[in-house]
Amino acid sequence: MRNIAEIYKREIRFYFATPIAYVVIIIFTIIFGFFFYRSLVYYSELSYQLMQNAYYAQRIDLIMGVFSPVFSNNAIIFLMVIPPISMRLIAEEKKSGTIELLFTFPIKDIHIVLGKWLAASTIIVLMLVLTLPAPFMAFKFAGAAEWGPVLAGYLGMLLMGLSFLSLGILISALSENQIVSIIVSYGVLLAFWFLGWIIDPGSGKTIGKVLGELSIIGHLSNFVKGMIDTKDIIYFVLFIFMSLFLTLRVLESKRWRG
Amino acid sequence: MIKIEKVTKLYGQTVAVRDISFEVAEGEILGFLGPNGAGKTTTMRVITGYFPPTDGNVFVAGHSVLDEPLEVKRQIGYVPENPAMYHDMRTIDYLKFIGAVKGVTRTSLKERLNKTIELCALKSVVNKRVGELSRGFKQRVALGQALINDPPVLILDEPTSGLDPKQIFEIRQLIKSMAGERTIVLSTHILPEVSMTCSKVVIINEGEIVAVDTTENLGKSFVRTHQVELVVKGPSKEIKNNLKKIDGIGKVDNVGERYTVEMEKDKDLRSKIAKQVVQNGFELLELKSRSMSLEDVFIKLVTEEEEGDRA
Ligand SMILES: Nc1ncnc2c1ncn2[C@@H]1O[C@H](COP(=O)(O)OP(=O)(O)OP(=O)(O)O)[C@@H](O)[C@H]1O
Ligand SMILES: [Mg+2]
Repeated sequence: MRNIAEIYKREIRFYFATPIAYVVIIIFTIIFGFFFYRSLVYYSELSYQLMQNAYYAQRIDLIMGVFSPVFSNNAIIFLMVIPPISMRLIAEEKKSGTIELLFTFPIKDIHIVLGKWLAASTIIVLMLVLTLPAPFMAFKFAGAAEWGPVLAGYLGMLLMGLSFLSLGILISALSENQIVSIIVSYGVLLAFWFLGWIIDPGSGKTIGKVLGELSIIGHLSNFVKGMIDTKDIIYFVLFIFMSLFLTLRVLESKRWRG
Repeated sequence: MIKIEKVTKLYGQTVAVRDISFEVAEGEILGFLGPNGAGKTTTMRVITGYFPPTDGNVFVAGHSVLDEPLEVKRQIGYVPENPAMYHDMRTIDYLKFIGAVKGVTRTSLKERLNKTIELCALKSVVNKRVGELSRGFKQRVALGQALINDPPVLILDEPTSGLDPKQIFEIRQLIKSMAGERTIVLSTHILPEVSMTCSKVVIINEGEIVAVDTTENLGKSFVRTHQVELVVKGPSKEIKNNLKKIDGIGKVDNVGERYTVEMEKDKDLRSKIAKQVVQNGFELLELKSRSMSLEDVFIKLVTEEEEGDRA
């Protein structure tokens, strides 16, 4: 446990000793804030118009009107800002050769990977925490609070962010070059994104359904609407687990080959 | 303390080391000597548990590197060939971090830090970033990193390469000062380093061990053949043929007018050689005998091996 904590502390210190964490967090918060502001303005205009019509006013709520679009956009921001966090995690140690030291210390590979993963996860959690004023503002504005669905959205965001991160670590372990690492990360993440679009899952074809199930975006849609489905949770947890497992295998096989 | 048992390591299809075995006794400083590409680094990486051997096994303090890698790693402090370090960290933080990762308890970390800083003379740079240090200080930080958890075994891969003579001297002194306290394996392709710092030497060439002995013995046992050096004016081919006619003469080599003649041990053929040269009408300018230095032994072992391979 102490090993993990030490690796974790070093990574966190590194993130905040260099501009990476600040840049990523600031860019994320600004874009999130912008989307949130746009949605809120749009929603207020809409609800003002709908005041006259009681039927429509009921149909449109804060979740569907504000948070669902904001969270959906957030997925794209995550896709942009998480690879810069994950790209260096292992690639850098391979390039500089410090991985040789780590591998000769009395610690297990899994401690190294977990320490790094937790440190990067902390940044993702931090980004999400910084967006929390948004729902408070929205609830104040609307005069009613509905936390359940919003927290479901946050859970979806977190799981998706951690999935991106885990895949990023795997790719970082495969490469020695950080630029290659980040570009491949973007490519693979986008591929997972578009999987569901290749064949319309609603077309009835099995292959379309399977691809839809594999795609990241498909599993986010329920969360975004405020619904928690165990199937979606299992998908993300498996995604994270598989990525980390493969990362360990890559580290192991690289060493066997020398 | 360290036992290398029939270790073979392949990189893909390339054999880096083949079936090597040797032992290092507790408190011994062993010089691991070999030319570039001989397999020194590969062997050391197997000992440290960086990667497993393709075949064979290594035991450190009785623990098998295959079955108990963590136990083996706990015994070892390792300084890799081109010491990599976290350049963004200050020396003190770096050593603290490594100590903690290696499992030095919180209570003893402070004491270990002070001892290491003193031993490696790092006091003046504790607050500097590791990346900004000179080559010599980097090497000392790398040594400090290896020593921070007080390991009984030190594995040093070419610890003096790239340093200036003063720094080399200091690092060697430091290594020597640990004799008896720790078991040390140091690799090098510089011969004087072995005779100066090590009590035992293992010579490796092209992935195979060609000699294991104490530093003294190795020098002696190969002085089977004494050498005579002469400077003679005249056609070198004829001179060589003439010299070879003498009874008890081994190899004859020349660089320009300077000839090296090997002769069997316990036979002093100097006067015969002189006579032979002069009687055949060549002009003898200089003649002196010399015994083989460790350097000659090394070159002899390594080149004999190569000749054997080609045959
Ligand atoms: N990662 C690798 N992949 C393939 N071959 C390698 C690898 N590392 C080393 N080799 C080969 O294995 C052999 C032994 O290399 P090694 O690095 O152990 O030699 P060395 O004795 O340490 O040499 P030097 O004095 O140059 O450091 C060499 O022929 C080298 O080319
Ligand atoms: Mg080497």
